[in-house]
Amino acid sequence: MNRLSAHLIGAAVAATLAGPALAQSLTVSVAADVRSINPGVNRDDNTDDFVLQMVEGLVGYDEGGTPGPLLSEKIDVSSDGKTYTFALRKGVKFHNGAPLTSADVVWSWNRYMDPKTDWRCLTEFDGRNGLKVEAVEAPDANTVTMKLNAPNALFLDALARTDCAMAGVIHKDSVKADGSFDKPIGTGPFKMGEWKRNEYFTMSAFEGYASPKTDGKIDGYLGSKRPLVKDVKFLIVRDPATVKAGLLSGAIDMGGILNSDVDELRKAANLTVQVGTNAVRHGLLIQTRDPLLKNVKLRQAIAAAIDYDELVSAASADLAKPNNSPLYPGSSYFGDVEKQGFKYDPAQAKKLLQESGYKGETITILANKRPTAVSFPQAVVAQSMLQAIGIKVEIEVLEWATQLDRYNKGNYQMQAFSFSSRFDPALGFEQFSGNKDKQPRKIWEEPQALALIDKAMVVADKAERQKLFDELHKRYIAEVPMIFTFNGVEPYAMSKRVKGFEAWQSKQRMWEVTLAN
Amino acid sequence: MLRFALTRIVMAIPTLLIVAVSVFVLIRLIPGDPASLMLGDLATPASIADLRARLGLDQSLFTQFGIWFGNLLKGDLGISINSQEPILPLILSRFWVSAQIVLVAVFFASLVAVPAGVIAAWRQDSILDLGLVGAATLLLSIPTFWLGLLLLLFFGLKLEWLPVVGYVSIGDDPWRGIIYLIMPILTLFLHEIGVILRMARASTLEVLRLDYITHARAKGLSEGAVLWRHAFKNAFGPTWTLIGLVLGNLLGGIAVVETVFTIPGLGRLLVDSIFARDYPVIQGCMLFVAFCYVLVNLVIDLCYPIFDPRVTAQ
Repeated sequence: MNRLSAHLIGAAVAATLAGPALAQSLTVSVAADVRSINPGVNRDDNTDDFVLQMVEGLVGYDEGGTPGPLLSEKIDVSSDGKTYTFALRKGVKFHNGAPLTSADVVWSWNRYMDPKTDWRCLTEFDGRNGLKVEAVEAPDANTVTMKLNAPNALFLDALARTDCAMAGVIHKDSVKADGSFDKPIGTGPFKMGEWKRNEYFTMSAFEGYASPKTDGKIDGYLGSKRPLVKDVKFLIVRDPATVKAGLLSGAIDMGGILNSDVDELRKAANLTVQVGTNAVRHGLLIQTRDPLLKNVKLRQAIAAAIDYDELVSAASADLAKPNNSPLYPGSSYFGDVEKQGFKYDPAQAKKLLQESGYKGETITILANKRPTAVSFPQAVVAQSMLQAIGIKVEIEVLEWATQLDRYNKGNYQMQAFSFSSRFDPALGFEQFSGNKDKQPRKIWEEPQALALIDKAMVVADKAERQKLFDELHKRYIAEVPMIFTFNGVEPYAMSKRVKGFEAWQSKQRMWEVTLAN
Repeated sequence: MLRFALTRIVMAIPTLLIVAVSVFVLIRLIPGDPASLMLGDLATPASIADLRARLGLDQSLFTQFGIWFGNLLKGDLGISINSQEPILPLILSRFWVSAQIVLVAVFFASLVAVPAGVIAAWRQDSILDLGLVGAATLLLSIPTFWLGLLLLLFFGLKLEWLPVVGYVSIGDDPWRGIIYLIMPILTLFLHEIGVILRMARASTLEVLRLDYITHARAKGLSEGAVLWRHAFKNAFGPTWTLIGLVLGNLLGGIAVVETVFTIPGLGRLLVDSIFARDYPVIQGCMLFVAFCYVLVNLVIDLCYPIFDPRVTAQ
């Protein structure tokens, strides 16, 4: 075959693949398939991300992680803090054209609370974890009331949780006649398209969408949410090298990339790179019941031995900044107190180590090598820094499922670990605090700290809560139950034709995104 | 022949039983819990306990095995913990994708590598032999993921002839389906050429040293007749066995190639299931792979008499 004919065949193949030009169709790579399309049931972060472009709840998070009205336009709380009244936003329609009414909200809620639905967050609202929604009623077509068993400052936050699919309101037609789930008919900016398992899933613009705002300003799950592309195809590409090749070739318009690929892809003529941050908290867990590490002086020595600028730079490919606080910097509670982290001071670390009575025992740090996790690089850098002050450290590399099992059982000395996003600081503290006898995975079990967290769960006043979080932060810095190092970064590369995308909390929000021809 | 086939099939039953029991036990010996993995670090003890109960993981291992094995005897491999799909159709659909790649790649690799190996043996120590052995060793030494990425960068990015990502089923669109399969097939084809060529050369060399070959030459037969009529038939047996083993291996294990080329095949399903501790899918996949292995080798054995009539007599 001569060179000319080879090129002709190549051109013919390329032309065949190109197919008819589909204006405004966006191809986005994702690393995994969705688990289901049933909101809040058999889900993971990836599934939530897709589903929450199609369904919406009464409330959702704003850009700072505070819950605000989404399908509702006004929320009134009774003086006893136990009754919430939601006035529904007018003009909202489901994907099948039916108008949203309070009866739909009540039907949807009752379906979630039916154990047969297998809603992930049933235990959050049925009283087993304290909070119980005792009654949901529709006094008129545009009003919904929810009555709680007791005042709860985190009720709206719980309703807005993405892992609960925002308790997204769906139309009755989402369910088949036999009661099984069919597809989400929600009120979101996009409608369900096609789902080809392990290959791709698609969604198309909902032309009848009533955006909360139309000023083009994105604000978490609130704000302007207009669907401006005709359809979006989420293509499952597991290998980061293939994602890179797809982006460079133009086969993929947008996709998450590895931290280590940022510099290279920034140089590509056809791409732009955006690095967002999220509330994921990376850090080093410490087993405070370990015979060696129960010694607070030793934990303080460890905290003082780590050069956080150096560690974070190495572990994030120079994309992130250190943050020792359990609160993420985007939180409205992240203030001057939270900015005060651990101090890197090798001399002080050596002094504390001597005072601790450390006798050269080996400490093992567990880590995993998932390509998207920063566990292993964190462990390696921490190991060298701890060794520099005279602490013997070994790293034990585990597969992720095994490491998670050891975390759940509390079976470790130290771990390089990451906690998923929790927007409310009370939940952020609760995530790693509690009684280890009841939940071995908990890390911080100091009784006074637990009492402060419990109080923060109930108190609604912001200034009062700020005081509680400041106090908790100070105690955490003093006691070093664990060491948070930095928050998640999420680099995306996209074609220069893609406009309007804003990375936020690992969510690939497709509203307000356009694709130039 | 029929008796031979039946005997081999009956002999496969204990093998599959051992695979079933050992996979069931071994996967549960490694740490990690599907419910915890599904719920992540946001889980509460109550939600983990709920999910474990729903998945039947709170029952004793013996009960779990009894239920699974009872269903297996009825041809039901169960439901995936992760995707909630029935497992047998899931495995079959994914197997079909992998099988297209493997069968075509191994077929063409054999078509090229067997004659090349025979020729290399025939011209032992010549430049041609050295060249063929060198190329085979090189192809064998390159990891498939790297070879795949090189092809992807060259044909996908540099020449822009072939698609870089995606997959289209041949059933949906035959022409586009074939286009998407070219690079994964090429990757396996190149790798397997190295494996098969070396075996074909070694077994031919062994046969060429035997007395009856000298006798055939002494009779004045042409080199072509000696090589193809006398040497090849005897030398092909070990290569044929190797092709069977290669097929058996690849049918359940091209996860790396599938990952690089975004192919939804059986290997990827198995690897994903292991990471997610999706026990029923792991068990189903392993059993299916073992069954394929047994079946392929049975077919290989049944074909032996074509090359060596002594096998039937034995």
